[in-house]
Amino acid sequence: MHPFEHIAIALGQMGLIVLLAPFTTGFIQKLKARLQCRTGASVWQPYRDLVKLLRKGTVQSDSASAIFRAVPVLVLAATLTAAALVPVVVVRQAPAGALPLGDAILLLSLLALARFLSAVGALDAGGAFGGMGASREMTVGVLVEPVLMLVVFSVAVSTGTTDLGELAARRGLAPLSLHAPDLLALFAMLVLLLAETGRIPVDNPDTHLELTMLHEGMLLEHSGPGLACLVLATHIKQLVVMALVAAVFFPAGMTASLAPVDLALALLVFAGKALLLAVFLALVESSYAKLRFFRLPQFLGVGFLTAFLALALRIL
Amino acid sequence: MTVDVLPILPLVPVATGLAMLAVKDRRLLAAIDLAGSLVVLALVIAVAHSVGEEGSLSAGPLRADAVTIPFLLLIGGLAVPTSLYTVGWMKGELASGGMKPGALRFYYALVHAFIATMLVTVLADNLGVLWIAMEGTTITSAILVGFHGHRDGLEAAWKYIIVTTIGISLGLFGTVLIYAAAAAAQGGSPAGAMSWHVVSAMADRLDPGIVRIGFIFVMVGYGTKAGLAPVHRWLPDAHSQAPTPVSALLSGALIKCALYGIIRFHTIARGACGPELSEDLFLLFGVASVVVATPFILAQHDLKRLLAYSSVEHVGIAALGLGFGGRIGTYGALLHVVNHGVTKALVFFGAGSAIGRYRSRDITAIRGLLGAAPWIGTLFFLGTFALAGLPPFSVFISELTVVRAGIGSGHVVSVGVVLLMLVVVFAGLMFHAGRMVFGSAPSSVAERGPEPRTCVLAMLLCAAIMLLCGLLLPPVLDGILARATEVILG
Amino acid sequence: MSDALATTLIDDIGALLLFTMILILGAGQLYRAIYAVAAQSVFIGIAGAVLGAATGNPDLWVIAGITIAIKAIFLPWLLLRVVKRVGIRLEIEPVIPISVTLVIAAIIVVLSFYLAASLGTVRQAITGNALPVGVALMLLGVLVMVSRRKALTQMVGLFASENGIFFTAMAVSQGMPLIIEIGVILDVILGALVMGILVLRVRSSVDADIADLDQLRG
Repeated sequence: MHPFEHIAIALGQMGLIVLLAPFTTGFIQKLKARLQCRTGASVWQPYRDLVKLLRKGTVQSDSASAIFRAVPVLVLAATLTAAALVPVVVVRQAPAGALPLGDAILLLSLLALARFLSAVGALDAGGAFGGMGASREMTVGVLVEPVLMLVVFSVAVSTGTTDLGELAARRGLAPLSLHAPDLLALFAMLVLLLAETGRIPVDNPDTHLELTMLHEGMLLEHSGPGLACLVLATHIKQLVVMALVAAVFFPAGMTASLAPVDLALALLVFAGKALLLAVFLALVESSYAKLRFFRLPQFLGVGFLTAFLALALRIL
Repeated sequence: MTVDVLPILPLVPVATGLAMLAVKDRRLLAAIDLAGSLVVLALVIAVAHSVGEEGSLSAGPLRADAVTIPFLLLIGGLAVPTSLYTVGWMKGELASGGMKPGALRFYYALVHAFIATMLVTVLADNLGVLWIAMEGTTITSAILVGFHGHRDGLEAAWKYIIVTTIGISLGLFGTVLIYAAAAAAQGGSPAGAMSWHVVSAMADRLDPGIVRIGFIFVMVGYGTKAGLAPVHRWLPDAHSQAPTPVSALLSGALIKCALYGIIRFHTIARGACGPELSEDLFLLFGVASVVVATPFILAQHDLKRLLAYSSVEHVGIAALGLGFGGRIGTYGALLHVVNHGVTKALVFFGAGSAIGRYRSRDITAIRGLLGAAPWIGTLFFLGTFALAGLPPFSVFISELTVVRAGIGSGHVVSVGVVLLMLVVVFAGLMFHAGRMVFGSAPSSVAERGPEPRTCVLAMLLCAAIMLLCGLLLPPVLDGILARATEVILG
Repeated sequence: MSDALATTLIDDIGALLLFTMILILGAGQLYRAIYAVAAQSVFIGIAGAVLGAATGNPDLWVIAGITIAIKAIFLPWLLLRVVKRVGIRLEIEPVIPISVTLVIAAIIVVLSFYLAASLGTVRQAITGNALPVGVALMLLGVLVMVSRRKALTQMVGLFASENGIFFTAMAVSQGMPLIIEIGVILDVILGALVMGILVLRVRSSVDADIADLDQLRG
């Protein structure tokens, strides 16, 4: 394929994710509300919130520096780049010497970069809650990122590549190609999904009580368009991780051709997968209570061991 | 034999136990208990006689060959003195409130169920049945260990059942591995792959790698049940907290049954991958047991715990005999199994009576036993003498045989270490026993009534066997042990 | 059912068994461990059914049924009854921290696979991953028994260990003889009953968990 086509496809998938991300969050919120016997806000509310935030002014603390103002944009940029890397509807073989538009390690690094930048911004503001939220978030990051790596590696070992597009293509677009180690990797990934999207039982995305939040703590000091960038980045990250799960474990339904009919079909399949994962998240959020912070290592340790076993089973 | 004796043998204690559940009268229960044990002994002698003539007897999953007989004789031979001792002991327990009249029949029934499971263990040809019966002994004896209902007894029972069940689960896994090897050697057909005599016959065709790993699991697993260090930690608690007759059976018979299980697998392993692995493991566990038990014997306050650690030490010596290998080592180990069983029962009986008399388990509290209870005191002292390995008693002969085997096979260091430990143990045992037996008894104890006749009779019986085997080994026993050695060595 | 399909299914069930074992190891509360071991027994039952279909041995179907009835329904129910009767705190207190336990578990699993890989020809007599997974499950069950302070958690570890042994035993050629497997299950039931009784007796006389008693020393 022509290199321009690659970039075009990547940008197209990125745009798709950006458009769909707030909807996903809205869907999860609505579903949670329904499960909790409330009516809940409309599924389009996250869009309205973003627009509202863009119109507001920015207030920042006196001790904040230029870094604080730059962080929201940088985080959004990193997350958008990650969104460009993950295959959503189109699966294509990367030609030799092409840009690494789809490398899994790069993807994970970008997500880690986003997390790091948010923490820096929170620390820069000089507030106590920002500092606490940042330290907690980084602790979770330390526990979560190696597991993500292990999961990706365990799948990569079987297919011989870390390029997500190729990985999906080589695993075959047959519906059920899960083997024993993949099951373990999937379980680990589901645990990680909860951690990366900042949902119960790892973190509570609805709370604004200072002592109970991890991710929200980092956003506390931001306002206006900056906050809009960060909130959008959170939505996008959630959808990116979901798309990662779908691409790595259930690549069926993605198409290699660019024909409009195929693309529409693949989009529908992707929407289905994302909605399934959204239902899973909503169910877990409604069924469990948030874990106390010092219990998180145990919970994530289970995920770590599962991912480790998945990798070990592949190699042994 | 016109009537198939083999299946009847384990059924007799079961029938006795069931019969006792229906009886409430104390004297009748004691009578049935004794009668049941005598019948078991008679049948055991009959089986031994048949096997001596015909070589082996089979009945379905049960089989009696030359190796079975010493263990059968041990079980049957201990059942009778134990029942005899229980007659006198139980009177004391009922009087002092240690045993409640309502629970009496359950106690007796459980003891016979325990004996039945031990009989099935040594009679089993099918390795799976061996395991099932072994777990059965654990379950029945665990209830017996905690029978008194005291906190310490329950703690001991829990530790016992958990640790030994872990252990024999590992043993089950080893059994499964050997079964897999046997089935593979038969080209995937499982016919007879669980039967010991089939598997040992084709042992040279088994894959040595998997047999090695299987044997290691079996050794650790059944070794836990046998009380070999370092997995012996349950033994001091269980054997000391159990009621005295049960302690005698546990130390005298049960740990030997576990050793029997290991011996069966030892024969298979010898055939499949040579004697090195099993002998090395026996040596390792044996030396560890002797070394670990010694300091606890020296610095001990509780009388029955002292005897329990002595059991650990002696089962270690038996394992050493098997580890040194060859004719002499294996013969010595088997002889030690029988001798120690009888001697340990004697000493436990004496200890139980002393504890009942002095109302205390503390060694320092028991003084002047010779004056307070002359027969029991003398026999107890002789038993401890024997346990320490002194002539002219039986344990001396078997320990000597094992040491000879060790020197003969070149394991001089192990022999040296063990001899040193034995000397230390001797000193410790003599010190404790001397303090207990000599001196003058506290006045409250001296007037405590005459010694129960049945207890003394039981102890005399054990002492007589002990002395006989020490002075001259009856040729019958010698023949039995020699034939068993031959079968083990293949 | 073809051999290849049976092997794949056994491998998948092996992965699921390992996952339930991880859940037992990482369980913070007693009832989660009990549910995990019940799920594990269900998977063992399914494995038995798969092997029964693959080898055509009817005994394996019987074993599968008995395993599900006893180890997935009856024994967990028994444990939950004891929990309710005794009214103990549900928190599991480990002797070593859970994170250390998980690391040891990882090492054990890797070693089991290593061990199984070093056994040449006999591997073919055992379907799929059953041997290493069985060894791992058994050793991890022992790890749970050794590293937990609550009596009921130790029993859960025992059941998990037996599941591991069963898994390997079922996958050996045509499975172990029916009588043996039934005998083993009977023993497990009786053992569980005795243990349950001991737990209740201690609870009623002393207000402590039986696994916590440590008066006997020296």
